[in-house]
Amino acid sequence: MSRRRRAAALPTPVALLFLLPAAALFAVFVLYPMATALTYSLFSWRGTAQDAFVGLDNFVALFTTEPYATQLPRAFGHNALLFAGAMVVQNSLGLLLAYVLHRRGRLRRLFQVLYTMPYLVSPLVVGYLWSLLLSPLFGPVNAALRAVGLDAVAQPWLGDPDTALWVVGLVTAWQWVGFPLLVYGAALGALDPAIEEAAMLDGATSRQRFWHVTLPLLMPVIGTVSVLTFIFSMEAFPIPYALGGSSGSPAGATDVMSLLFYRTAFHSGASNAIGISSAVAIVLFLVIVGISVLFTQWFRRVERRLT
Amino acid sequence: MSRRKTLATASAALVALTLGACAPSADSPEPGAAAGEGCDGDAVALDVWSWRTEDVKTYERIFDVFEQANPCITVNFQAHLNTEYDQILRTGLTGSDGPDIAQVRSYGLLQPLVEGGNLQPLEDVVPALADFDDATLDGSRGREDGAVYGVPLASQTIQVYYNTAIFEEHGLEEPETWDDFIALNDTLLEHDVTPLAVGARDGWFVPTVHDALTAAQYGGADFQQALRDGATDFTDPAYVDSIQTLKDLQQYMPDDVTGVPYTDAQVLFTSEQAAMFAGGSYELAFFQDANPDLDLGVFQVPPPPGSALDHPVSAGYADGSWGLSAGTEHPEEAETLLNWLATPEFGQLVADELKQFSPIPGVEFSDPLQQEMWDLYQADPAPYLLLVDYRYGDPVGTDLMGEAGQKLFLGDTDASGAADVIQDGLSAWWTPGE
Repeated sequence: MSRRRRAAALPTPVALLFLLPAAALFAVFVLYPMATALTYSLFSWRGTAQDAFVGLDNFVALFTTEPYATQLPRAFGHNALLFAGAMVVQNSLGLLLAYVLHRRGRLRRLFQVLYTMPYLVSPLVVGYLWSLLLSPLFGPVNAALRAVGLDAVAQPWLGDPDTALWVVGLVTAWQWVGFPLLVYGAALGALDPAIEEAAMLDGATSRQRFWHVTLPLLMPVIGTVSVLTFIFSMEAFPIPYALGGSSGSPAGATDVMSLLFYRTAFHSGASNAIGISSAVAIVLFLVIVGISVLFTQWFRRVERRLT
Repeated sequence: MSRRKTLATASAALVALTLGACAPSADSPEPGAAAGEGCDGDAVALDVWSWRTEDVKTYERIFDVFEQANPCITVNFQAHLNTEYDQILRTGLTGSDGPDIAQVRSYGLLQPLVEGGNLQPLEDVVPALADFDDATLDGSRGREDGAVYGVPLASQTIQVYYNTAIFEEHGLEEPETWDDFIALNDTLLEHDVTPLAVGARDGWFVPTVHDALTAAQYGGADFQQALRDGATDFTDPAYVDSIQTLKDLQQYMPDDVTGVPYTDAQVLFTSEQAAMFAGGSYELAFFQDANPDLDLGVFQVPPPPGSALDHPVSAGYADGSWGLSAGTEHPEEAETLLNWLATPEFGQLVADELKQFSPIPGVEFSDPLQQEMWDLYQADPAPYLLLVDYRYGDPVGTDLMGEAGQKLFLGDTDASGAADVIQDGLSAWWTPGE
């Protein structure tokens, strides 16, 4: 499978020169803010003024004092559930749709565009749109359910802690399903049709061809999509904010890590808000990087076993 | 493939971190100050920042009045999105291209700027501050030094609005006693009118409704003082009773109230499907705008039997003030403008053009309803307790009441459990009596 192309030889100093502009941008817009957040989290703050160096005190406070000791694990759990939901609903559906569209060539373009449309709308707008649709007073969703006699199914979707987080997950999936669909669609298009033809000649049914031929070949792409989904789920902000506000209504049922960061940074009267919120950002960063690396390694091992 | 994947992973994950370091999101190129007619010397442009994006045109008209009287000063008014303002302002005031004068938040949310040394104390700069009401100035004080860091811009009061047409249709009048209040709610319910338009999905709205309905029951300013003295805390029976009252009144609110957003509660009221709305004075302009035919009245809810106070009250709070940047390059001109912002002339413009309660002494309100709300508040004031005294740490009192109230409405906790949520949450940074 692996094809190795020889890189056109470029003298090292020239190559470095070409790398310089991108490296400079990366340093200014990524590395510098990163380093800043890290240093912020190691100091105590008096409002906007940096105070004393306190080492890891902010992190200790984050894990041992209220309200963070309760809210941090709760928010993290919600992020994890959003990720699980996105894997099950959004990515499976995306793969299924991509596979179906791949086999029915004629309307592929049209449906690809349709499924990808919500992806082009600002997530904040999507959130507010669904908040209107799901309102128990004026929302058309409950009205439609009642109109067809499903009164028992009509819910205060965003007002019940048992359903609110599911709604956040489903709205996110509604918006992002176009992403796995496009990526998987492209990957399917790039597969060598001869492999599937060979399987067909060997008498494999279409189900067998999907599970034993196509899916293993897609494994590298599934890995990439999964890792990106994990990152998006951990960073979820606009949709939870639009659906549950900065405190994760109702009663914290939709609270996620980014909302916790937002609250501690900009919504609190605490003197050390910048120190604590920077610590939240660092913890979030470490979780994302750590788990993403583990994921990537695991997928690489699975790939190797399959090929 | 795998290397590319790792790179994508790493670079996308970095986004999480950039959240942590707040880079300024708005540059403010300073336009050359054009001298107005009649200016002999050098013209100076002052940058004034605000979170009221909806008021930009009105503020420009208001500052025209100032510029005519002070031809050498141009006011460059810039509004930033409300939800991003605090972040932008903190960055602006610590950097080099921040405002000279800025609208700043009140009470707890003002403290980061005071503690960071970003604002100047104003008692010596603006002599007119001596004439302001003390409770109003409390909103602009530094927690530690007690100095005033802002010229109060607007006050808000909290009361119950009602639809006079619906009241007349059902033969109802403003309630004089608690029994009257319950009776009129029952009458409305019998006639399939939602009595109280409340939306509890937005947690911040819950403490507003609670204080509008029950501030007199738990004791208003007396209770505030008792908390400050350390004589009681939020598990006080009077406070628990007031939360129980909120629960008892849930039957008069829309069904599934925790699923109803605040904006839907507004629509319920302006579309005349609900008779009453417990809310702030800031609603008035929106109500009148949304439905010009709406005939409105206001009242204070009479306290139920056994209340701490024997008369109804209006809760109120200072909502924003004008702060002076410690890093301004034009201190003299900024002080001139700041002093104008404390004059009755400016206050009257705020009242007439922006429909806000200017707390500047001597201002009158042309809208009779606005005047009535102000008079009710002046006669029987109470603090909007959780906002005024309990936003100096994390978590803030209003968020806790939002969560506690949602649990209460959902039936996940009772009144004393809700009071515990507030007391336990606040105990992270607050001890009664300190």
